[in-house]
Amino acid sequence: MSRVTPDRVVGVAALVLAVLAPLYLSSYWVGTLLTQMLFLGIVAASLIFLSAYGGMVSLGQVAIYGIAGFVVGNVTTNGNTKGLNLGWNPWWGVVLGLAIAVAAALLFGALASRSVGIYFLMITLTYSVIANLTFGQVTDVSGFGGISGIPAPKHIGPVDAHSNRLYYVALGVALAVYILLRYISRTPFGLTLQGLRDDPVRMSSLGYNVMLHRTIAFAFAGFVAGVGGVLFVWWNGHIDPASIDLSATIDVLVIAVVGGLYRIEGAWVGALFFVVINNYSQQISFIGPRFHTLIGAIFLVIVLVSPGGLVGLWDRAVALSPFRRRGPTDRNPIEAGQVEPSV
Amino acid sequence: MTQAAAPTPGLAGSDRARILALRRRVLQALGLLVLGAIVVIPAVWVLFLAPTTGKWATSFGSAVHDPKDFLITLLNGITAAALYFVVASGFTLIFGLMRVVNMAHGAFFLFGGYVALKLQRHMVGEGGSFGLSSSQVNLTHWIVPALVGTVAIAAMGLAMQQLFLRWNQGQDLRQALITIAVSIILADQMLAHFGGVAEDIAWPRNWDTFVNLRVKGIQYTETRLVILAIAVGIGVLLWLWLKKTRTGMVIRAGVDDRAMVSALGVNIQLTFAIAFAIGSALAGLGGVIGGSFASLAPGVDANWLLYSLVVVIIGGMGSLGGAAIGALLLGITTNFAAAYLPSNYTYYSIIFTFVLVAIVLAVRPLGLFGRPE
Amino acid sequence: MRALRSRWKLIPLAGAVIVAAAAVAATATARNSASPIRIAVLSDCQGAFGSFDNQDMAGVVTAMVQYAGAKAKNPNKPRDGWVGGQINGHPLKLVGIGCSNDRADTAIKETKRLMEQLKADIMIGPLSGDESIAVANYAKQHPTKTFVDGAAGAQDTTLKVRAKNFFRFNGDGAQWNAGLGDLAYNKLGWKTAAVVADDYSFAWTSAAGFVAEFCAVGGKVTKRVFPPLNTTDYSSYAQQMPTNVDGTFVAVGGAGLIPFLKAYEQAHGPIDGKKFIGNLFWGTPGQFEQLSSRVAGAYVGGAGTAGDLATPAAQAYNKMVGKVFKQIPPFGAAAPQASSTFTFGYYVNTWGLLAGLKGVKGDISGGQKKLQAAIGKVKLRTPYGPVHLDKNRQAVIPVYYQQLYLKNGKLAVKTVGYIPGVDQSFGGTFTSKTPPPGRNFPACVKRNLPWIGHTQVPKVTG
Repeated sequence: MSRVTPDRVVGVAALVLAVLAPLYLSSYWVGTLLTQMLFLGIVAASLIFLSAYGGMVSLGQVAIYGIAGFVVGNVTTNGNTKGLNLGWNPWWGVVLGLAIAVAAALLFGALASRSVGIYFLMITLTYSVIANLTFGQVTDVSGFGGISGIPAPKHIGPVDAHSNRLYYVALGVALAVYILLRYISRTPFGLTLQGLRDDPVRMSSLGYNVMLHRTIAFAFAGFVAGVGGVLFVWWNGHIDPASIDLSATIDVLVIAVVGGLYRIEGAWVGALFFVVINNYSQQISFIGPRFHTLIGAIFLVIVLVSPGGLVGLWDRAVALSPFRRRGPTDRNPIEAGQVEPSV
Repeated sequence: MTQAAAPTPGLAGSDRARILALRRRVLQALGLLVLGAIVVIPAVWVLFLAPTTGKWATSFGSAVHDPKDFLITLLNGITAAALYFVVASGFTLIFGLMRVVNMAHGAFFLFGGYVALKLQRHMVGEGGSFGLSSSQVNLTHWIVPALVGTVAIAAMGLAMQQLFLRWNQGQDLRQALITIAVSIILADQMLAHFGGVAEDIAWPRNWDTFVNLRVKGIQYTETRLVILAIAVGIGVLLWLWLKKTRTGMVIRAGVDDRAMVSALGVNIQLTFAIAFAIGSALAGLGGVIGGSFASLAPGVDANWLLYSLVVVIIGGMGSLGGAAIGALLLGITTNFAAAYLPSNYTYYSIIFTFVLVAIVLAVRPLGLFGRPE
Repeated sequence: MRALRSRWKLIPLAGAVIVAAAAVAATATARNSASPIRIAVLSDCQGAFGSFDNQDMAGVVTAMVQYAGAKAKNPNKPRDGWVGGQINGHPLKLVGIGCSNDRADTAIKETKRLMEQLKADIMIGPLSGDESIAVANYAKQHPTKTFVDGAAGAQDTTLKVRAKNFFRFNGDGAQWNAGLGDLAYNKLGWKTAAVVADDYSFAWTSAAGFVAEFCAVGGKVTKRVFPPLNTTDYSSYAQQMPTNVDGTFVAVGGAGLIPFLKAYEQAHGPIDGKKFIGNLFWGTPGQFEQLSSRVAGAYVGGAGTAGDLATPAAQAYNKMVGKVFKQIPPFGAAAPQASSTFTFGYYVNTWGLLAGLKGVKGDISGGQKKLQAAIGKVKLRTPYGPVHLDKNRQAVIPVYYQQLYLKNGKLAVKTVGYIPGVDQSFGGTFTSKTPPPGRNFPACVKRNLPWIGHTQVPKVTG
């Protein structure tokens, strides 16, 4: 376990750099870009977890992230013109937000658990659309304009005044999520999930309940996405249906794919890349308002050249170098093609 | 190591199989019951119950009370479904044969519409910046742009397939991602070149009239009947093509077993190219009709992609008949929800569509007509 | 004695020190007075208003040229910004242009980038309603920065959020429709009306302006229909529109307006212009041309602008925009676009900001408190009439309404009504305590509005 591999060296170095970031980066970088990278990474990690270990490429993560965010927004704000304005303690908001997000994920997961492959992708896409439309039309809880002025808990906020605090909270949470996801993948549950991914028919005939496992995995990923949603509303102080619309859904997919759909680490690599490109491309004068074209082109190139994303490129580089790491057991779902339908 | 869901001990295999089969049957029956309730309850509401006064007041009241508005809503639903079918049939054709989920289908739709729009305004010669009224437009001014728009998108789809998709056949997720990237670029470039203001293609004056249906005195717009005719024509042509021609037979065989078709020495790549071009062409034609029916603007592409997805998810991906049924369900649901929900709740009509999808998939994961491979 | 003498000896030394200190202080203040003022603009370059990006910037740059001695960097592309320009020796530096997409979520991200990464002192923008509510909330949390609106018309922005450092020199969506209710009831003779509007806050606000005034003078609104945004097939909604009313007010915009009109024609036959009133989406240059001759004759609420106004001030403004820019892409020649909601909105807000900056001689020290107090007192004689701010820092504005007509077979627009001094509250219909305009608010109530009967017919060109 304690072997020194290039992965571990880079991982530890990245962690150290992240912890020290406020010392050498501007508060905008830390408070805005890096914090955003961390929570987007958490959402993307939930997608990568489902994809890498469960063979389920979900476009519903943003819907669940949004549900958690909207619940927090509704119960913790006070005196706004929109939403329920319950004015609860933010921590109770977190508890309720995550509970409802997980409940929604359980329902979504149960409905989608019989679908696989590209069908799963599309049914989860409809979840995102349902969530987006529901929050847009049900004006009691949001409406098109969304909810503003969402507070972070007393010891973390106000976020604008103490941006480092939220950054460290997000960093701690991201690390915990990473460790948790890695741990889960090695538990019997995680191993079963990988078995279901590779051969659902055999696992089913061995007596495993395919749908139940998929549903639980989806609910668990929903919990992770919900955590990302809570961090998002603290960071942004605002959430509206556009925060979870089709383009937001595709953004998270882009992050996961650019990072690499088969290793959890890829989530944060992709998120960093995405956030930086998004932020800086507009300032390049000849691109200006056409930065979506640039993002599309970069995405296209990465998908064409390296289906494993940036982490895939890194793995290939390491494989060619003298420090070869042991062969990855995680297959790359994007290259694997059609996943067999179940039952 | 404990199993999370270990086999139940003490049961012989055959018993287990029987229990499983029984459970499946019960679940299926329950599913059908739910599906039946979902069809029957709204139908009873629309036909007999919908009131015109009180808390649950609707605009028209029940079909028994106001048959004219009911019939018009029904026709609106069917004609809207016709357009959904034109767009979605291309999507399902491509998916059926190649397992490519073309997420750029909506962008192709919009681009086809814009090509026709610019050409129509050029042909009429009133300058590009003014919307045309149908009195200025004759049949040629509509049909020529429609054909050009369709062919342009066929070429565009073919180019995308040959450049980006041909060599990673079978990697369905990767191909979907490639088409997403293409759609992001196309959408942004269309905003840059065609602007963000909604524009529309004018119907020719010959079509923009009313037809007396001689039922309850309904004067119905001819344009919507034209759309229905085009859709039926396309449906029939596609059906003949798939059933009666050699290419069609190869495609159908390819849908069932791609490896076998290739092994038999058929030039599957050529078949793929043809199918992709035709599927894209239908997106382009859909864009021309959709641009005449509604409007063209940024964001419209995403709407139409979603409609296509909904139609083929409901109907079952790759099935032409499924697309027709899916389109009908979508068209009828959206139009009836908007007209027959109580007036204080019509805002929620748009959500109904997607709830319909979720329910269909929960009961039939591959759609109503989808077949497992 | 010696001590005394030595003290006397110190005098020249002390004098020298004082002179030196004064010199240092003077250079310091000199440097201070030359410190640049960092300005950011938040515009929309994506989404429904994306193609008006250059109009937004044209408004900002024209005001900069006219009131701060700046120069447009590129006369054919307003988005390139300005060079030069100063207030009392403080250069006005454009640090960045934000690119939003009419979504609050994006507007917030862009605002953070402009204010925190590019370190702007002052921001001009955003363009649209929900964006402005979010930006005003952001402003509330950053009291040492100053924000002036771009062209956003949400009512909550100033009436509910009331950030002390957010100023708006343009009207809100309801104000922009002042005069229409009076017109419908008293001139067109409508006793009953139906309302159809997009199902979101700007359209509700826009409809609220009509409903409040039409009901105030005695009209009845018998049906309100709200099709959801992103509706494609409007046939079911069009079919629900009652035909037994005297007229219909339409506040459907974006990609939905043309499909709605087509669906209406299909359900009820050709549109009779006299029985329709639309909101600003029917009259904005660059948009109304698309509606085609079908809507000729309809009246249109504006956005406090009137491109054909014959007054010298209005003509001078059109000329000024035409002098600063040759082209405002993608719509072509600049001068005719001066009266666009977006050009004028960004222009008048930038002007208000510059007037405030002049009032404090460009001094933005002390957390910009003095500047903010000064902007609050600014009174402008705009090309379209006088504008001042109320206690919520919301403009009280002159409002115009227009009529669509056919000129050589093409749709054109002329200004036919002028209502001076329209404020946000509609005679107490809207206050900080009332709910925001919505599906059922405001209710149809008779009341006194200060401007009823004050509508004038303005002199127009052409």
